[in-house]
Amino acid sequence: MHKVMRTFLTFAFLLTASVVFSQTTISGIIRARNDGTLPGANVYLRGTYDGASSDASGKFSFKSAKNGNQILIAEFLGYEPFSVEVQLNGTPIQIDIELKETFNKLDAVTITAGMFEASDKKRANTISPLDMITTAGAAGDVFGALQTLPGTTTNGESGRLLVNGGSSDESQTYIDGALVYAPYNSTAPNTATRGRFNPFMFKGTIFSTGGYSAEYGQALSSVLLLNTNDMPEQNQFDVSIMTIGPEIASTRLWETGAITATLGYANLGPYMKLVPQNFEWKQAPESASGAVSIRQKTSGKGLLKIYSSYDFGQFTLAQLNLNTNRMIDYALDNRNFFVNASLKNVLSEKTSLSTSTSFTHDADNIAFDSTSVVKQLHGFHLKEAFSHEFNQKISLRAGAEWFVKSIGQDFTSQQDTLNGNYTNHQMAAFAELEMYASKKFVVRSGLRLEHNTYMNNGKLSPRITAAWKLNTHSQFSAAWGQFYQNPADNFLMVTDKLGYEQATHYILSYQSVHEGRTLRIESYYKEYHHLVKQSSTAFYLPETYSNNGYGYARGFDIFWRDKNSIKNGDYWISYSFLDTRRNYLDYPESAIPSFTSKHNLAIVYKHWFGKIRSYASLNYKYTSPRIYNDPNDISFNSRHTLAYQTLDVSWSFLYKPNIIFYGAVTNLPGFKQEFGRRYADAPDAEGIYKSTALVPGSQRFFILACFITFTRKGTENQLDKIQ
Amino acid sequence: MKTILFSILFALLTLAGNSQSNEYYQAMGENLGRYANCKTVEDYQALGNTFNRIAAAEPGEWLPLYYSANCFIIMSFIEPGDAPKKDAWLDAAEKSLDQMLQMVPGEAEVNALQAMYYLARLVVNPMERGQKYSMLSAQAVGTALGIDPTNPRARFIQLQNNIGSARFYGKDPKDFCPEATALLNEWDNFKPKSPISPAWGKQQVAEIVNSCK
Repeated sequence: MHKVMRTFLTFAFLLTASVVFSQTTISGIIRARNDGTLPGANVYLRGTYDGASSDASGKFSFKSAKNGNQILIAEFLGYEPFSVEVQLNGTPIQIDIELKETFNKLDAVTITAGMFEASDKKRANTISPLDMITTAGAAGDVFGALQTLPGTTTNGESGRLLVNGGSSDESQTYIDGALVYAPYNSTAPNTATRGRFNPFMFKGTIFSTGGYSAEYGQALSSVLLLNTNDMPEQNQFDVSIMTIGPEIASTRLWETGAITATLGYANLGPYMKLVPQNFEWKQAPESASGAVSIRQKTSGKGLLKIYSSYDFGQFTLAQLNLNTNRMIDYALDNRNFFVNASLKNVLSEKTSLSTSTSFTHDADNIAFDSTSVVKQLHGFHLKEAFSHEFNQKISLRAGAEWFVKSIGQDFTSQQDTLNGNYTNHQMAAFAELEMYASKKFVVRSGLRLEHNTYMNNGKLSPRITAAWKLNTHSQFSAAWGQFYQNPADNFLMVTDKLGYEQATHYILSYQSVHEGRTLRIESYYKEYHHLVKQSSTAFYLPETYSNNGYGYARGFDIFWRDKNSIKNGDYWISYSFLDTRRNYLDYPESAIPSFTSKHNLAIVYKHWFGKIRSYASLNYKYTSPRIYNDPNDISFNSRHTLAYQTLDVSWSFLYKPNIIFYGAVTNLPGFKQEFGRRYADAPDAEGIYKSTALVPGSQRFFILACFITFTRKGTENQLDKIQ
Repeated sequence: MKTILFSILFALLTLAGNSQSNEYYQAMGENLGRYANCKTVEDYQALGNTFNRIAAAEPGEWLPLYYSANCFIIMSFIEPGDAPKKDAWLDAAEKSLDQMLQMVPGEAEVNALQAMYYLARLVVNPMERGQKYSMLSAQAVGTALGIDPTNPRARFIQLQNNIGSARFYGKDPKDFCPEATALLNEWDNFKPKSPISPAWGKQQVAEIVNSCK
């Protein structure tokens, strides 16, 4: 017995000894394909503690007491793990390992031609959602903030988005994939408007200045894609007190969802009494709005988002009627009801289905000089989109859409009654294939088919875009595409014998993002065909209209942003050059459209003052003189406006974790602003068309606000380490 | 005899089993000792890698994941620039944290570490992430203290958050001195579950208390 045990123990001891004493050294070097050596990689034998990290030159070396066949693994963040079988028998092993970069869409090349993306998702984005809110001059207007980006032109008398030589009708706004039919507030003619939506609603924005995806149609120039916030993080109650009125919002969460209700009231009356105005307001702009936003997680991984709002606004403005040379009251009231819903369902890891829908009812009641105009818009949009990833590199997105737009306009004056209306169902289908050849090259090609029931006309628009990454921080993108849009409502109300207006985009862009500095240079060429052309001033006759208009726009945009060079400071500079001509509408010849300007410059600077917990933003904008037509002059579009200049300042002060004070002034130095002239319809007795200058409502605009947030743990809402 | 042989074999096997677990404790102990010598990003990277190796070999243990996440978080704090790099490390830490939250859902130490992780995300870009991540960090501290109100690391992170906030709002951070002193005095009352369980933080609290004098 003893003998057996002794033998056994000896055997066991020998076994252990052999394990302890025969050590194998494993060493080598870790390289990345193309990119040199990799320091800090983890190299080890599977299932053991034996291993090492590669040093600064990518070398590693470690000893193992293990024996026999083992699996050697090498791992490094962002690279495919490598494994190989090795024989451990005491003989040193020398092994050189080459790791392959993981294909990860987050840091792969992205299509940037014509695209400005502001979101948390991308780490190297050019602008962030916060920028949208804090840009001075925009004063919380999404569209205003975008006007500091290249490719845009500021029209002080409109406030709308004008992109790369396109008119404001050529841009469309989508919220969570569904079309917004009336994104702007109604205003009096020649006064600036603002967007209807609070920028705090959105977690991300994609602003495309052209060459965009086949998923979007009915826009010749640009699309703005706004994505609303997901689930709120906590119950809260917000109070905003502004010089123009108060707003309250309340958010309640439950386990799988949340609801936010918002109520707001604005009245510019008191403000306008204090600050001198250029206009004579009989009743200052006043508005009331209510909104409800619901978030509900669905079974699976879906999220249902519903946003619905109702706005009411009214004002009365005294304006000079140049035809009668009398002051008349122009009164407007607007009601807008909007519902937007989206549901994304994850069917499997690779497949998802999303539904977006919106409904808009927008009604304007306008009264002036014993004339009344009632405008009604009913809009509906439903989109079903399907996404599938065949593998990491190839994905498809396809879908179908149904748009309904119904317009009615009743014009009643003492002499005339004019009624106009039309309803159109627009059917569309799209498919888009995205293929990565490697982390460095991607092509996205798509097709979009649209059919308009009112004009009974269909179109197929092909689009293609590609991006090529030169190195870790710079890349080229190119895009080409055909874009179609229905003629404007005013024309369709008169005739259905019109076809689509068309634009073809060619875009080439370069972008470099490195250490907080971004440089973008983009050049584009846009051809317009089949624009609506009027052959006479008889706007009510169908035969006045044809699709014989045409034009072009070409130019380049430069964007430079530097978040790095100035401590706590951040600035960007946008410059756009635009050369464009059109022969459309009632133009007698090919001419520069009055809404465009050749040079556009915006400089934005933001600074964080840690000691006083303040965030200051300053921006300067310059728009070169625009062209306008003077009927007293023989040549068409021959007059120049003043150059537009403004210098806006805003200041946010974080008083307490839950209390923010905000103040902003536009056009601080008081640059003279004039947007051309407005003329009488007919010449007076001396044969002269009377006119008056178009000026902004006031030279400067001031706003003061206080935002208070109440949470259960209000004081714990810290902004730690922000200094 | 057969019985005896079997019992010996069994004993040997148990011993072998124990030695496996001894090896784990030994490896963890040794590597926890290496914390003291870590100064650079590279040092922490090597140590984090080591814990990752142990984690891979011991899929049932959460502590190797804890320390690996801890190393990657520290790396993000000490790296001077390069935000994408910091975010990549924090992605790695997040992965470990998610694994731990699955493995040991009611572990206050994990939630406390998560609070520190959120703080690290915030520090990468305070301007844009301040609001979101300060809230998430406070929530994670809240969860940790909900599980164990005496956990000194959760209390330490909360204290640090409060002091940071006070400093930011121009209040006197010394208001928190009594709290810091109390935490330091009570520090040793908390008994870590094992010799390799998280025990760090006393030094940092002592520094806060010293700055009060």
